[in-house]
Amino acid sequence: MSKLSERFEDVLLVVAEKVEDNKYLSSVKNAFTIFMPFIIIGSFATLFNALLCSPTTGLAKWIPALEKIKPAFTAINFSTMSFMTIPIIFLIAMQLAKHNKAPEYITGVVAVAAYISVIPEVVTVVIDKTSGTAVGIPGVALGAQGLFIGMILAILVTQLFSKLTKIDAIKIKMPASVPAGITTSFNSLIPIMITLIITAIAGNLFLNFTGMYVNDFIYKVVQAPLEVIFQSPIGIIAVVLISQLFWLLGIHGGLVISPIRNPLIAVAIAANVAAVSSGGVATQAVTYGFWLNFVVAGGAGITLSLIFAIFIFSKREDYKMIAKLSFLPGLCGISEPLVFGLPLVLNPTFAIPFVLNSGIATAIALFATKIGFMACNTVDTPFGVPVLIGPFIGHGLPGVVVQIIIFAVCTVTWAPFVLISNKQAKKEVVKEV
Amino acid sequence: MRIMLACCAGMSTSLVVAKMQEAAKKQGKQYKIWAVDQGQIEEELGNFDVLLLGPQVRHILRRVSKLVGDIAPIAIIESISYGRCDGEAVLKQAESLVGGE
Repeated sequence: MSKLSERFEDVLLVVAEKVEDNKYLSSVKNAFTIFMPFIIIGSFATLFNALLCSPTTGLAKWIPALEKIKPAFTAINFSTMSFMTIPIIFLIAMQLAKHNKAPEYITGVVAVAAYISVIPEVVTVVIDKTSGTAVGIPGVALGAQGLFIGMILAILVTQLFSKLTKIDAIKIKMPASVPAGITTSFNSLIPIMITLIITAIAGNLFLNFTGMYVNDFIYKVVQAPLEVIFQSPIGIIAVVLISQLFWLLGIHGGLVISPIRNPLIAVAIAANVAAVSSGGVATQAVTYGFWLNFVVAGGAGITLSLIFAIFIFSKREDYKMIAKLSFLPGLCGISEPLVFGLPLVLNPTFAIPFVLNSGIATAIALFATKIGFMACNTVDTPFGVPVLIGPFIGHGLPGVVVQIIIFAVCTVTWAPFVLISNKQAKKEVVKEV
Repeated sequence: MRIMLACCAGMSTSLVVAKMQEAAKKQGKQYKIWAVDQGQIEEELGNFDVLLLGPQVRHILRRVSKLVGDIAPIAIIESISYGRCDGEAVLKQAESLVGGE
């Protein structure tokens, strides 16, 4: 048994290291980490619209003038959330260029330019039932629907451009007396030109052969199916369980899976906000707010419920001490004191609930969404917002109820294992005697 | 001595940082101790004399070691003292790393 668990530990650690060492995945991860505040602010802009500027749900009911500033908050939402593909491309290209030891800012700009060169520069407009085209970039290419083609293109362009900047033959030779700054700017000229020509022609060929813009194609073939899988109960619960297996080893599961999770939760919240602001209903359940407030409520594995179970059932002083120490961090979703202090890491007694509880919590929250008890959120909260407050901001009172149900259910699932640990402690005492 | 801790988001290590500062103060030592997100290590290069990683991000050790090189010693915080927020023990670990250089 110990050999098996050792092998399991080795395999997962190697996987985690591979994800960490992979420069593409870690560039994507870092780009989304940098961009996360903008997504949260974008979603808060919709909250301000509802609380301040709406004549039905907001302060504008009493102060009608507030309705006038609604376009300002809508603009904040557009400039952050509905425009996210562009800054994400820039950031991924910069992060990857850093890895490649290529010039960072220029690479970022090149990647954005390359992307703009392959997306439509006309939009279809319908006026009085007659449709025509006008100059403009369609919102789908700038917002979340462009994320995956943006990510792929940023990586390809950066790899190409980094290679080109390292070829001496295409550098323009300057006399030694020319200042270094001027030489660098000339040296990037030819690589930029080659990169943009290749991308623009490739995009053009793609359009001519398939009749589809490459961003629409990647959205339909790659992104949309991934969204469906990620939002399906089986898909998201599988992601959650994998994340928990890493936690069982004491490795931050959320961090390991973030390169794939973060783009998809960004897409989800953007879709929800877009749906609600155009008068529809939000349909994407799994967002960052959903993850924080339900999947890892009170700490990944719903460890806050373990603290409750220990307070109620445990006869072990060492457990009670750790539980007390972990209580306040647990309220903010920080589980590390329990994970390493108890410890839960590779602890066979608690392994089953530690891995499964977040899956159960996900199922409960999805069920509450499915039956219409809780709406999909349009407001994400950052990590560290205390329990009960977080779901209230994101999902309103139904969210608070769902979180309480999760804590109650998971306290029950932790309980039998706390009782087992009581018996184990007794045996140990007997042995010592 | 400048001791930097890193984990995911820098939140849970900040609990340990507070306990370490307490312990250092008690021992009358003037240390600078702080926590950052693991993504910020690169920006802090040169600002710390020793880097301690939370055990939950021990899978990044290999990447971070390449990044930091011989600028400063790096170690994973011993997990039980991390979990129990034993500031004194973690402080001792940091000191022993620098002392061993």
